[in-house]
Amino acid sequence: MTNPLKKSPIPGLNRKKWAMSVKQNKIWKFLSSVKLAISLFAIIALLSLIGTFIPQNEDPSFYISRYGDSGYRALSNTGLTDVYSSWWFILFLALFSINLTVCLLSRFSLKSRSMGTLISHISILLILAGALIGMLYGQKGYVKIEKGEEVNSFIDREKQINLGFSLRLDDFIYSENIDPREKLLVYSGNGQEPIAGIPTEVGAESDIADTGYKVKILRYLPDFAMDMSTKEVASRSAKANNPAIEVELKGKDGAQQRFWVFARFPDIHQKITGNLSFVYQWANRQPKDFVSKVTVIKDGKEMLNQDIRVNFPLGFTGYTFFQSSYDEEHLNWTGLKVVKDPGVGVVYLGFGLLILGLSIRFYISPFIRASQK
Amino acid sequence: MYSMYINIAFAAYFLAMVFYFMELFFRNKFPPFLAQLFISSGIISLTVYIAMRWRIAGRPPLSNMFESMVIFAWMIGLVLLFIDLRYKIKIVSSLTALLGLLALGYASFLDKEITPLLPALKSNWLTIHVLTCFIGYSALTAGFVSSVVILFKKKEVGKLDAISHKIIAFGFLFLALGIITGAVWANSAWGSYWSWDPKETWSLITWFIYAIYLHTRFTKGWKEKKAAWLAVIGFLAMLFTYFGVNYLLSGLHSYG
Repeated sequence: MTNPLKKSPIPGLNRKKWAMSVKQNKIWKFLSSVKLAISLFAIIALLSLIGTFIPQNEDPSFYISRYGDSGYRALSNTGLTDVYSSWWFILFLALFSINLTVCLLSRFSLKSRSMGTLISHISILLILAGALIGMLYGQKGYVKIEKGEEVNSFIDREKQINLGFSLRLDDFIYSENIDPREKLLVYSGNGQEPIAGIPTEVGAESDIADTGYKVKILRYLPDFAMDMSTKEVASRSAKANNPAIEVELKGKDGAQQRFWVFARFPDIHQKITGNLSFVYQWANRQPKDFVSKVTVIKDGKEMLNQDIRVNFPLGFTGYTFFQSSYDEEHLNWTGLKVVKDPGVGVVYLGFGLLILGLSIRFYISPFIRASQK
Repeated sequence: MYSMYINIAFAAYFLAMVFYFMELFFRNKFPPFLAQLFISSGIISLTVYIAMRWRIAGRPPLSNMFESMVIFAWMIGLVLLFIDLRYKIKIVSSLTALLGLLALGYASFLDKEITPLLPALKSNWLTIHVLTCFIGYSALTAGFVSSVVILFKKKEVGKLDAISHKIIAFGFLFLALGIITGAVWANSAWGSYWSWDPKETWSLITWFIYAIYLHTRFTKGWKEKKAAWLAVIGFLAMLFTYFGVNYLLSGLHSYG
């Protein structure tokens, strides 16, 4: 005996299913089309382009001064001040990922002759997946550490994150490159032309032409200041507000004298024997290195001593610290960027496979095909 | 003075270009090895120049517009010699030589002073990143030349199209390598492999345009003139990545 109740809904369901599969098919076809892929290349390229002409993630005051009040409101409401995180940009990236996935499922086969194409397309998905992992599970922040102090947490998107260890700044060393134009010029008598141009590196000793005198550079202070009560000399800051060098002059007879020469005040009178006068020709010095000397401390124990420099970060238990800013006034603190990104490995795997896939596609497959003929 | 090697290279590139054009206009009257001899001497002088500057500076000479321009001209010479020996299409060789000469000429107007490396550039990635980028740039330049010829020529279009495709595929691979090495370097210097900096973004835009070139060719059969137009657009984007970003936009990549 047949149950009419069981039988009747089936044709209806089938029709529904059939209708749905047609609908799916249309969407499927759209999503697997190369036309969509090419359009998305063009759209994503164009949207990215906009973000290079409108400065991104600046302060509101910047946009207001540049585009006016209403201009700023229009830009910020449409997401144009932060193109690459805007919903529409992410939407096109998502559509791009779906398009690529559907293409991989419907267009590619595991035949060896299309291996290169397959690998290079999977690699793009891996890169996008790695970026997504970083966005969802990554942590990013900044720590400012004073000399001698330690930190054990940082702030990521208004959330405090404990590192599980602490980082102490033992010292911060900033060094500069001396421009070759920077010289200590020596004049003799009323001569208009210097008789010597002496390099100003600290510790350097040089002869002054053929006068028999020798000079040695003892100290460099970017911002010379003297404590009037103690007569002690020091640099007020690390900025070149008042560059000065201390010079030691040695005569033929071994007599020595020490004095300061100022770049900004060439006329400060110096009592110098031998009819010589000195001018400090200073040139803007460029940063050479920023070194944060740090110690990692876990459970009260010192685990690691390391220098953090630009291009040489410190990694510990998944967190990486990058040299990112410093105390330009007094060199008393360092600013380090803290990153934990579990997606990097996936992205790098994608990078490797992209190059492998393209190389196979362009060079190995055609070679095999040619040799098979 | 080692700077004479750049002058020798300039003269050699110029003579190579002249002889390529001579071969083009007076076939069979000029032996083809003359131009090749000149371009080879140009490449050798630039190699000597780069090596000496490297030794004097104590670091790879890849850190500003002048130094990168010399590398670009050097790579264009190498790509030119390769495509000339392999494909022997004189119009492509002559025009590529002209572009190499223009690169050297432009370099001569730039500041040649050797300055110490900024801390951000002190890395082993500098050499590999700059070289892969400029191998890519010079291949895409040659691909642009052969594509432009397609737009103006009626004969040999099929052969030119095949050459353009091969060189652009090579350039596309090296542009990818350049972007990837840049990303890996940025991650080890700043803790982020991608920041949507204008240089990064424009290199990606350029790569996308060439991705369109390759996809329309493989799946839609866009060849010859249609493909050539895309190669021209891609080349303009590449120029903007190289020059436009530095001169018109500001960002992390402000040295060259």
